[in-house]
Amino acid sequence: MIERLRAINKGVALMVGFGLLACAAFVLTDIIMRRFGTSLGGTEEIAGYAMALATSWGMSYTLLELGHVRIDILRTRFQTFGKAVFDVFSICVMSGVVITIAIKAWPVVERSLVNGSRANTPLQTPLIWVQLPWFAGWVWFAIMSTLLSFAAISLVFKRRYGETEAIVGAFAEQDTLK
Amino acid sequence: MITYVGVTLLGLLALSIPVGVVLFLLGFGIDIFFSNFPLIRGLGNMVWSASNSATLIAIPFFVLLGEILVRSGVAERTYAALDRWVSWLPGGLVHANIATATMFSATSGSSVATAATVATVAMPQAEKLGYDPKLFSGAIAAGGTLGIMIPPSINLIVYGFLTQSSIPQLFLAGLIPGLALALMFMLITVIICVIRPDLGGMRRTFPFPQMMRALVDLVPIVLLFGLIVGSIYRGWATPTEAAAVGVAGAFLIAFVFGGVSWDMLTQSLTGTVKITSMIMLIVIGASFLNFTLASAGLGRELTTFMEGLGLSPLGFILVVVAMYIVLGFFIETLSLMVVTIPIIVPMVLVQGYDVIWFGILMIVLIEMALITPPVGLNLYVVQGARKSGSLNEVMLGAIPYCLTMLLMAFLLIAFPNIALFLPHALQ
Amino acid sequence: EDLSVVGSWSSLPLHNAYEAPFWTETLPAASGGTINVELTTHNQMSLGLGDIYPLLGQGVYDVAMTVGDYAVSDAPELEGLDVPLLALTADDARAMVDAARPMVADIFRDRFNSHVLAIAPYPPQVVFCNADIASLADLEGLKVRASGRMTALLLEALGAEGVNVSFSEVPGALQKGVVDCAVTGAGSGYSAGWWEVSTHLLPIPLGGWDPVVTAINLDKWNSMSADDQALITSEIVTGFEDPAWASAQGALVNDVACLTGNGECVGGEARAMTLVEVSEEDFTRARTILTSEVLPDWAERAGGDWATRWNESVGTAVGVSIE
Ligand code: NA
Ligand code: NA
Repeated sequence: MIERLRAINKGVALMVGFGLLACAAFVLTDIIMRRFGTSLGGTEEIAGYAMALATSWGMSYTLLELGHVRIDILRTRFQTFGKAVFDVFSICVMSGVVITIAIKAWPVVERSLVNGSRANTPLQTPLIWVQLPWFAGWVWFAIMSTLLSFAAISLVFKRRYGETEAIVGAFAEQDTLK
Repeated sequence: MITYVGVTLLGLLALSIPVGVVLFLLGFGIDIFFSNFPLIRGLGNMVWSASNSATLIAIPFFVLLGEILVRSGVAERTYAALDRWVSWLPGGLVHANIATATMFSATSGSSVATAATVATVAMPQAEKLGYDPKLFSGAIAAGGTLGIMIPPSINLIVYGFLTQSSIPQLFLAGLIPGLALALMFMLITVIICVIRPDLGGMRRTFPFPQMMRALVDLVPIVLLFGLIVGSIYRGWATPTEAAAVGVAGAFLIAFVFGGVSWDMLTQSLTGTVKITSMIMLIVIGASFLNFTLASAGLGRELTTFMEGLGLSPLGFILVVVAMYIVLGFFIETLSLMVVTIPIIVPMVLVQGYDVIWFGILMIVLIEMALITPPVGLNLYVVQGARKSGSLNEVMLGAIPYCLTMLLMAFLLIAFPNIALFLPHALQ
Repeated sequence: EDLSVVGSWSSLPLHNAYEAPFWTETLPAASGGTINVELTTHNQMSLGLGDIYPLLGQGVYDVAMTVGDYAVSDAPELEGLDVPLLALTADDARAMVDAARPMVADIFRDRFNSHVLAIAPYPPQVVFCNADIASLADLEGLKVRASGRMTALLLEALGAEGVNVSFSEVPGALQKGVVDCAVTGAGSGYSAGWWEVSTHLLPIPLGGWDPVVTAINLDKWNSMSADDQALITSEIVTGFEDPAWASAQGALVNDVACLTGNGECVGGEARAMTLVEVSEEDFTRARTILTSEVLPDWAERAGGDWATRWNESVGTAVGVSIE
């Protein structure tokens, strides 16, 4: 299951990455056009939205790649079982916090929906267009961390302590930069 | 409340809960125990506002730029070229580590990315040539910290964003202290290796024609630096937009070197997403914590505390330095900045200090925090690239550079013009 | 009664000279110690500008004050509170704001679950140009940095191009020609050194007056005793609103004097920007554009009967009618 989740989230991360790339291209086009005295307009606003979406949808990939920074000075002093306890505790706490964030993100979306809010800019972007996918990203992150928690807990119950490291450990096996 | 925050923060971090999550938990705790108001209702808004930021999109852009440079082999060439030029010094390749870090700092906005870049290309050399792992890896961790001092710098962007000060001026102000630090790092390396030649490994000299040919490999980085910084100072682009210019430039360089491929592209992009989300969870957590702290009256508590001390401006700034050193042991650097800026900066300004100058002083202190255990991201990055030996070696190796940074902080206090000369001269 | 109060920008005179003394000294003293206030500001809390009133409505704090324009994302009808160029003096601006007050009260009740206590002015948002201009018409074709949707739309209608630049980057942008002109309060521009990088000053409120609305969470308000309500309602007028408005006109005259050297500059060194007098024809044209394009556009965005209500209140006060 973990392998499948990783594959799915890698796909998501790739889409997010291409989104960021498109945003960079958009900003660059605007810079060049300004040299010629015109402008696309609204690049700053759109870059902000891109950042919000990239952030919420990128979280799960980082989670599955064990990329969220943890301090493991105490944890490394323990054996396999101890480490597993640290890791399972950590992912459960994380799930709790992320679920809370996802729940509390809803009122933001709801307000935009009810008020028909539009950005206070010349583009007048309906905020719901951005906030709904942003919210969905946090819900996705909450689901992923919950699934991961269950997977880790079930490994502990099956006494397969050594295997938790690979899915909820402190650092990825492979390096970020090769 | 200050005690609560300190103790709980350390406790939760020690439990190895992700740093970003710890910041949220602290915020929840402050809401429950120190505030009469339902601060948690503001959570969604804080998460939205903190991530909907055009300024912060510079983070993924600068990360992507670094990823492209590494994966296209530019980093290796740069390292090899600098090796030709500086390895005759006592300390040998350690100087190449620092010089490469300095060059990459000029294109990278982040210290972690800089350290990671240099570590990946340098580490294989260390064992081959028989270097002492402590000094060798310590120099990478420390050199990497220059990434946030020498422009461009994500941290200076965040500082300018939060204090409403000019980001181009901050960038200018960071240039001289950044280069001075690099020279001081090399100087301390020479001193150490003269006293203890066994730490330095092999000194090597290369024939002059080889050195000249190596210069060609430095051209891309110099051009890229010129492109990024030039576009800011010619008024073509904001610092954030310049990051997009940098991405384009990096692609161009990778293309010229024949390093562009589908695999390289996808790996760079997913790597960028991974690091960006890691940073953003912390930034968002910090901004929520910040919101709860401010709402619960931390500012007043700190102001009263500081006024109670009755310090002169110099005494005050020394207390601030001490505070950053202590907090720097435990708090991740970007969080440290974001959490302290709204409280400390107004107090510093009241004492008559310059906001740009303090930004640079803070960066030096934050750089120190990056290489002080237990929470020192650069130490982990370098250790991650080593695959052998213990983290303690990196920590020990970083100590001399840490002291050099402290010296730099005092120099900045004694001679503010180290930072302010360029912004004033070019105003 | 304990009140947690979130003030406007902590660095600006409105907060330091009026908000802070009122909430931390005047009101607690007037209540004889029964009302205690905890004061912070939205920038010290690092709140997103658009979040300030929504969080007030949710009861995250009791009282908040900020520029009404920051909240128009959630309430486009609120843009009608601050229309550029309609009020040229502080007295006119106050008349306009007073006329809009019932509308603002309704908007805050319905959109932000809160009760409006006061509306005070920021200094009028005037135009700094690093370009040789002699009239409003000369803005045509120039790149102008402005905040706020209605100002941006007005500039567009005048033939200028709106550019987004953050406040701290404006001096550099003016110097390098990224923008030709920028709109901000005369005092802010003076203290931020914009006179160093711009040559001409158009002392008309092209960016409006940025009225700062002080509001209290409605549940909190309803839970208070009638005596406390009456006390706050009356004290905030005499202790905050009146003095803030009273100083607004004087501050504008002084700031313009400091920037241009025309007249006496109190509390600073006079600079030598060129003061651009706006002609009557210029004004007529700008107002025509405002009433024929910009305001009808707003009426459509706001929907409902807001245009009618606006015409009957603000419109009557300033002698303008949305077509
Ligand atoms: Na840098
Ligand atoms: Na540290």
